[in-house]
This record gives sequence, structure tokens and C-alpha cells, in this order.
Amino acid sequence: MESVNQKKKCMEVKGLSKTFFGKKEYVTVVDEVDFTVYEGEFLVILGPGRCGKTVLLNMIAGLETKTDGQILYNGKEVQGRNPDLAMVFQSLALLPFNTVMENTELPLKLRGISKKERRETAQRYIDLVGLTGFEKSYPSQLSGGMKQRAGIARAYTANPKILLMDEPFGQLDAQTRYAMQNEILKIWEKEKRTVIFVTNNIEEACYLGDRIILMSECPETVKQIYDLSDIPRPRDMVSDVFLTRRKMISDTMELSL
Amino acid sequence: MGKDASAVKVDVRNLTKCFGDLRVLDNLSFQIQKGEFVCVVGPTGCGKTTFLNCLTRIYEPTEGNLYIDGEPTDPKKHSLARVFQEPSAIPWLSVRDNLEFGLKIKRYPTAEIQKRVEMIIELMGLKDMQKKYPKELSVSALQRVIIGRAFAMQPDLLLMDEPYGQMDIKMRFYLEDEVLRLWRELQSTVVFITHNIEEAVYLAERVLILTNKPASIKEEVYIDLPHPRDVTQHRFIEYRNYITDKIKWWE
Amino acid sequence: MYNSYLSKSKGYKICMILLSVLSVGLLIGSYVWVSGRNAVLLPSVGQIWARCVKLFVNPIKGVNLLAHVWASLRRVLLALLFSWTAGVVFGILIGWSKTLNAIFGSIFELFRPIPPIAWIPIVIMWFGIGEFPKILIVIIGSIVPVVVNTRAGVSLVEQQYVDVGTVFGADNRQMLSNIIMPVALPSIFAGLRTSVSSGWTVVLAAEMLGADHGVGALVTRGWNASDMALVLVSIIVIAIIGALLSVGLSLAEKVVCPWNQ
Repeated sequence: MESVNQKKKCMEVKGLSKTFFGKKEYVTVVDEVDFTVYEGEFLVILGPGRCGKTVLLNMIAGLETKTDGQILYNGKEVQGRNPDLAMVFQSLALLPFNTVMENTELPLKLRGISKKERRETAQRYIDLVGLTGFEKSYPSQLSGGMKQRAGIARAYTANPKILLMDEPFGQLDAQTRYAMQNEILKIWEKEKRTVIFVTNNIEEACYLGDRIILMSECPETVKQIYDLSDIPRPRDMVSDVFLTRRKMISDTMELSL
Repeated sequence: MGKDASAVKVDVRNLTKCFGDLRVLDNLSFQIQKGEFVCVVGPTGCGKTTFLNCLTRIYEPTEGNLYIDGEPTDPKKHSLARVFQEPSAIPWLSVRDNLEFGLKIKRYPTAEIQKRVEMIIELMGLKDMQKKYPKELSVSALQRVIIGRAFAMQPDLLLMDEPYGQMDIKMRFYLEDEVLRLWRELQSTVVFITHNIEEAVYLAERVLILTNKPASIKEEVYIDLPHPRDVTQHRFIEYRNYITDKIKWWE
Repeated sequence: MYNSYLSKSKGYKICMILLSVLSVGLLIGSYVWVSGRNAVLLPSVGQIWARCVKLFVNPIKGVNLLAHVWASLRRVLLALLFSWTAGVVFGILIGWSKTLNAIFGSIFELFRPIPPIAWIPIVIMWFGIGEFPKILIVIIGSIVPVVVNTRAGVSLVEQQYVDVGTVFGADNRQMLSNIIMPVALPSIFAGLRTSVSSGWTVVLAAEMLGADHGVGALVTRGWNASDMALVLVSIIVIAIIGALLSVGLSLAEKVVCPWNQ
């Protein structure tokens, strides 16, 4: 088994902070976050509540300006949008006026790629996520799980080096969620791309992640980093090693009543 | 626990519901003892919502009926409380007023209302937030208030529709322990619907497994484990795997 | 749940259609019942029909009813052509750019509450009573809802859709054409629909104040000649054309925004 340490660094986040001006005073939401992303890994950012995780991810994606700190990509500092990243949004954010096909091909359309070529690529990912036959459907005609599949296909069509996923399964019921987790692992194993996955669900984090970065709540800082690459895949949610790890992380995580 | 095992509280006989030609519930029959905690699990889209709507009489069943204490269910006579997945508190009332709300509607005497609400606040440790408004609370805190409000009613039947669906394991374990504490103290009869089999095995005295649509009862499993249960224990996992196998939603 | 299930059933729909047919029928019936008793103030259905036929046999100002309708319609269509183009462009500009909104939005807000008919004296004094001033008044009357709705639609596009464009690298032009415009389209269409009905209302008012041809001119003519049947013919024509225009636009919307159903 490959150890994470032998892998190549592809992104480094150093001292990343975000402060907003709230109603009366400044509020720090993300406070000096440091971590490294290795090429090809499935990295999970786990934290309670919905405080700063989305802001953190948005800063990496270039959707939010950073107050302080650096994001290094392949050793170079990135300002604003990084074209090698794509994102699966928590809110799905499928364009309601576009069909599944049009939504999926959007990243390539924006790059001015010919219709024939972008349709081919989009079709490949539509097939991969299991939406074959729904190319002409509008998002409003799809179930929650299918919408999420379309969002994932769209992100892969952009051909990113790193895929960011912001609590993509938060709105799904438990069973659809399990099915989508397996789906996303299947695609990840096939496509071999780096994934940064944000969630507040410990079980999901343990099931998916090579490594888990556990965040503290408000302001968000790195609390602990766990290496789970020793748990073999496919992982068994009721195995001893899984339940022990889950409990270990759960005991460290804060309970915010 | 002071439970009379022979007393049948809820008796569902041949419950069937059709919408036009579509048969959603197919001849469901089961009984719930007074003070029992029953979990219902089933595949996604198996007609769970219709099942609940029939139990609470939002829908008229096509065939069959539901009896409480031997009488046909009547929302005017029997109290049926329901907790939804999305918490719904009354925004302009404080936490305490929200807890009192249902009791006031039912015109309980003030002394009784105060006694019950005090007890709930005590049991759930809500003292510090009783003057707050729903907007000031987190989703999980709000859900606790709603659950407290439902228990304060001491209903004939308390239906909980996946109340912890969006919550994390850590939070869920805490809330599950809390709901068990309330159930034991108030000796309520609870039907708890969930997609999460670990949760079902952790909470239930008995688990009802529904089949795919049209839903009928596939099997009843008695969970013969003492509380507090340990999710890593061998027998717990056996139960969990057994029920998971029975649902087989992914095949 | 229960109600939505009911409202989808076929019988329920038919019932609702029957109810509206019945209420219109009742209105016509009661008119038939009371009319004709005082033929000067309330002409009977037969008299109205006869007046309508006479408009073709004995044209007013040398043209028949259809030509009068066309004169009004032409003014509205020319005016709408301008106010839709200009209104949508202007609405996008002030909805998209905060700077432009600060400069022009405030001026627009100042003019917005003035009823279009109030402009009639000024327009007539400046431009006389030809074809252009009438069209100008209709433009003034119909451009406001287009601008208001376009601006709202563009400025209220949810952040999540803009984020999608940013993440996948859309430039400003692509953001506008691929994301902002389509998201805003239903709102823009609402503005167009309002502009048609207000344009149709304003053209009649403008014609009533001075025109040879047009449905508004017929109303004035009937009024001056105490020809109540002529007034009623005009009113019925106005109602029918107005309804047809709005149905036509709804159909167009269904074709242009198929995801909205």
C-alpha cells in the first residue's frame, strides 16, 4: 500500500484566514488554517455546524477573497480563481433553464470548445454517473440524488486536477446518501483525481477519506488530522476498525448543542 | 418501567391506501403495546409518508382502520403528536411559550401546564434557553424544543418522522439518549421512522421492516439488548446487519 | 398534500373551467336581460351587432372597423418594438452594474411614478398630433414595466448561479449570456406581459384625445354623437384584442422558457 507521505504535494494552504465585518464588529470565520493536499488523495474536511467550512472552500475556489494567508498550487501562489479546480455545490446550483446535457457541458462551452467535442465529453460523464437517458431532462424533473449526480458530472466535465465538493449529500436521505457515497468512490477510483470533500458527517468522512482534517468551530481552525489510508476499501461501516476510528474522531469533535 | 405488557395501545388492522390505481399501502396489520418504542424502517420511497399520514388521519385509509384503546381513531378524541424532520416552532413565541402552546390549545389547567413544562425543561436541560426565540437557536436545539413540546402533550401516540435525519453521529447519539430518557420518564408510546438502521437498533424495542411499494410489513424484529446499547458490540452489529440485509434497497 | 392531490384530478379541473364559463355567461345573460329597456343608455345585443355591421357598410373616416383596429395595433406594436429593445437593454445595464444604477436608476425612479397619460399635453405641444407623438406616448407607457422587471430579474440572480459561472471560468460576456439572462428571463417576460397591456391601454387614451383612425377615436366619436352602441362595439373590440395579446404572449413564454412549467 502506498503511503501518503510518498505522494506529491499538489496544494498547500498556509495561514488562510477570513474576517467579515458583521453587524457591529469584525468576525473571524476562518483562522490561520494550514494543511497540505497530496496528489490523487481523497481529503475530507470535517467540522461541526455550518460555520466556516464553505467559506474555506470558497476561498480555495476563488469565490471568496481571503483576508490573510496563502494558497500554493504546485508551489506557486494562486490569486483568485484556479482553472484546475472544479466544484460540486452544496446547493446543487444546476441552471434551471438548461437540460442535464446543457448543464454538464457548460464548463466546456465557456471555454469555446466545439459542440461535437463537448457533447462527447459530457456524455461520457453523464454515463459514468448513471444519468444515461436523462440528458434532455430539466433539473426540476430530477430527484435529489439525480440532481447531485448531474452536479458531479458537470464538475468532472471541466476536467479539473482537484475536485472540490461542498457537503454535496447534505440534503439527501440516509439511503440515497449511502448509494451516492459508493458512487463517488467508484468514480474517484476510476478517474484518479484529487478530491477535497467537505462534510459535517463523521460516518461519511470515515467512509470516504484517505485523510480527515478535523476542524474546530467558529472561528474555524485545524484541530486534528487523521490518516485513514490503512483502512482497506471498500470500507465496512460496521467493521471494528471503522467503528473504533469513528468513535475516536467523534470523541475529539465538539458537540454544539 | 411500570409497563403493562398486555395492554394494546394502538391496533392497526388491514390498513390499505390507494391513490386511484396506485396501491401505496398494502394490508398492513400490527399492534403497539402501551409504552412501547417501535422503529419503522424501509427502502427509500416505500410509502413512508403515506403510512404516517394514514396513522395521523390526514388521509382516510382506503381499507382497514386504526384503533386506539380499542376505539377507532378520532383526532378529536385521541391525541396524536407528530415530529417532522424539519423543525417547525412558532417563531413569535419563546421556547417556553412554544412548550406550553399545545397544552394551552388543549385547555389544560394552568397548574398542570406549568408542572409538565417544568418537567420537560428539567429533563432536557432547556433552562438556559427557555426565554429565547426560535430564530436564536440552532437547528438541533430547535428540534429538541419540538420534541419536548410533543412529549409534553403526553399523547396517545407520538410519531417521529426521521427527526435526526440531517444530524451528525455525535449529535444524534446525544439526542437519541435524550429521547430514550423522555420516553422512559413519561412512558409514552412512540413510533419512530428512520432510514438509519444503526439508529433503529439503538433506540427500538421492536423494529418493523417495510417492503418496497406497495408497502407491507416484511418482518418484525425484537431488539433484545439492554440500554444503554453499545454500537460496537457484536450482537448490536448482528442486528444491524440482519435488518440491513432485509431491506436490500441497493439490489 | 391532500389538496394538491385533489387539484390534479381531472374532474376538479373541468369543474373550475365550467365555473368561469358560467360566470361569464351569467354576466352576458344579465346584460341581455336589462339591455334594450333604455336604448340610448343601454343598447340591446341586437343593436350592438347592427352597429358593428354598419361600421363595414358605412365606414367612419373612410375606413372600416378592422382598419381602425389595425391603426391602434400598429401604434402599439411599433412602440413595443422600441420599448422592449431599449427597456431590456437599459434594465440589464442598471441591474448588472451598480455604478450605472446609481447614475441612471435614480433618474428612472424619478420619472417612474408619472402616469403616461400625464405626458400627453407636453408631447402634443412639442410634436403636434401626428403619428409619432402617439407612438411616443405608448413607448413612455410601456417601457416602465419592462425596465423594472428586467432590472429586478438581473439584480436578483442568486449568488449560487453566479458562482457556477465563476468556478467554470465564464468571462463577463459569457456570464451575461449563459447565466444572468436566462435566469432573469421569466422575470423579463413578466415585464413584457405587463407592457403589452399597459401599451394597449395607453394607445386608446392617446387616440381618444385626438386621432382620425383607431379604436380610441371610435370611442370618442361614439361619445360625441351619443352613439352608445358604437362605444360598446369599441369596448368589446378592445377587450377581445387585449385578451388575445396576453394569451399570445403567454404562449410565446411557454416556447421560450420551457423549463418554467
